[in-house]
Amino acid sequence: MTTLDIALPQMVLLYVLCLLPWLLLWLIGLRLSRDIGISILRMSIQLLLVGIYLKMLFDLNNPWLNGLWILIMLLVADVSILRRAGLKVRYFALATFTAIASSILFSTAYLVILVIQPTHYHDARYIVPLAGMILGNCLQGNVIALERFYSSLRKNENEYTTFLMLGATRWEAVRPYFRDAVKAAINPTIASMATMGLVSLPGMMTGQILGGSEPWLAVKYQIAIMICIFTSTTIACIINLKLSLNIAFNPFDVLKNELINKH
Amino acid sequence: MPSIIRFDQVSVIAHEKTILSDISFTLFSGEKAVLCGKSGSGKSSVLRTLLGLHAVTSGTVYFQEVPLTPASVQTIRSCTAYIGQEPVLGAENVRDALLLPFQFKAHREHQPTQQQLIDVLQRLQLPAGILKQDSSRISGGEKQRIALARGLLLGKKLYLLDEVTSALDADSKQAVFDVFSDPDLTVLSVAHDPEWLERCAIIFELEAGRLTQVKRHDNP
Repeated sequence: MTTLDIALPQMVLLYVLCLLPWLLLWLIGLRLSRDIGISILRMSIQLLLVGIYLKMLFDLNNPWLNGLWILIMLLVADVSILRRAGLKVRYFALATFTAIASSILFSTAYLVILVIQPTHYHDARYIVPLAGMILGNCLQGNVIALERFYSSLRKNENEYTTFLMLGATRWEAVRPYFRDAVKAAINPTIASMATMGLVSLPGMMTGQILGGSEPWLAVKYQIAIMICIFTSTTIACIINLKLSLNIAFNPFDVLKNELINKH
Repeated sequence: MPSIIRFDQVSVIAHEKTILSDISFTLFSGEKAVLCGKSGSGKSSVLRTLLGLHAVTSGTVYFQEVPLTPASVQTIRSCTAYIGQEPVLGAENVRDALLLPFQFKAHREHQPTQQQLIDVLQRLQLPAGILKQDSSRISGGEKQRIALARGLLLGKKLYLLDEVTSALDADSKQAVFDVFSDPDLTVLSVAHDPEWLERCAIIFELEAGRLTQVKRHDNP
């Protein structure tokens, strides 16, 4: 069973569909033509490039090339996490990279080597989409964790200082904010596991079913990916925050505000 | 006699602004001192510098003759009670706020008893019933006395007080004075209140980050 192709004229038909929401938005007075146009164009170009790149990756299926792809994804994720969390990239880059690289490699390896067990572990068909999906979700979590932690530390500076003055070590004094930040980071994953299949069909499962897989197989893969996302997000957030504690404070446990971008 | 606090030509520059400039003074055990001057003259900064919250640009701060370094700052903080104008209780209710420091490794072994809690509250004119009260319903003046009670429970000997009597009525103020009449306790405070100034044997006057005058009177 193969998925039916979408031919060029039909692709054009898809873009024509965009005219309908565009017209409706225009009628209610929302002038978003520019934003919509740019977004659709970006989506198309970016996915086109990814398509070309993935096609090459799959055709060559070279372990080094696959590894390089994961490395590039990690580096892009690293910079993107820190930018979005409002932290200065050059100070925290290594800490965040260590956190996401170790957690992604661990959970992807666990999934591929122990659970799926393909003939070749480095098979692009498995590691590329799985590592990519885990990383994409892990990224969200790390942005939330770092942003929440440092903004609540700044907001509660007096409380943090009070803890220090009452004899707390740096770790003891930041612990309440640390816990809150990790909780905020993993809550979306926990909530999405709880409603999985009820509210919407998960993207990966839909993709597999469209691709011709048995629903049962798709269900098992969906469970696998969710557990890996949950695991790697938790590990990455904790390592990331922990490592950042060594960077963001001066030796007297005072937060170095200059390492955090003003919002 | 070894000093408790000694500032030796201490300057603090933060964000290209001079906060303290060439400050030198010594405070011995049991002495009660007050820093006064206009707002922005650096009074609170002296307290914060001693606690390692401002990076010293030049000069040295000594606590019990040991220089302030990352290694010694924990000792200074654990021997010192800092009480600001609006102290943070850091817990849901007053009892938890009083017991908060005893969660930390440094004080875990010294949990106070219920009676000790009540006694210390009484010394500061606070009713035992306040223990159950929600932190959000505590007034500024009560917070200051609770923070002070927390310092007393921890057995601290050095008190850094920033405008502590400003929010207190006459009775509570008297209670605070009584606590600090203890010759074992050393006080470095920031205040405008004339009654408080009168009770401090040493008055440091600050102007634009400089120590301009030191006044001593013999019977506080």
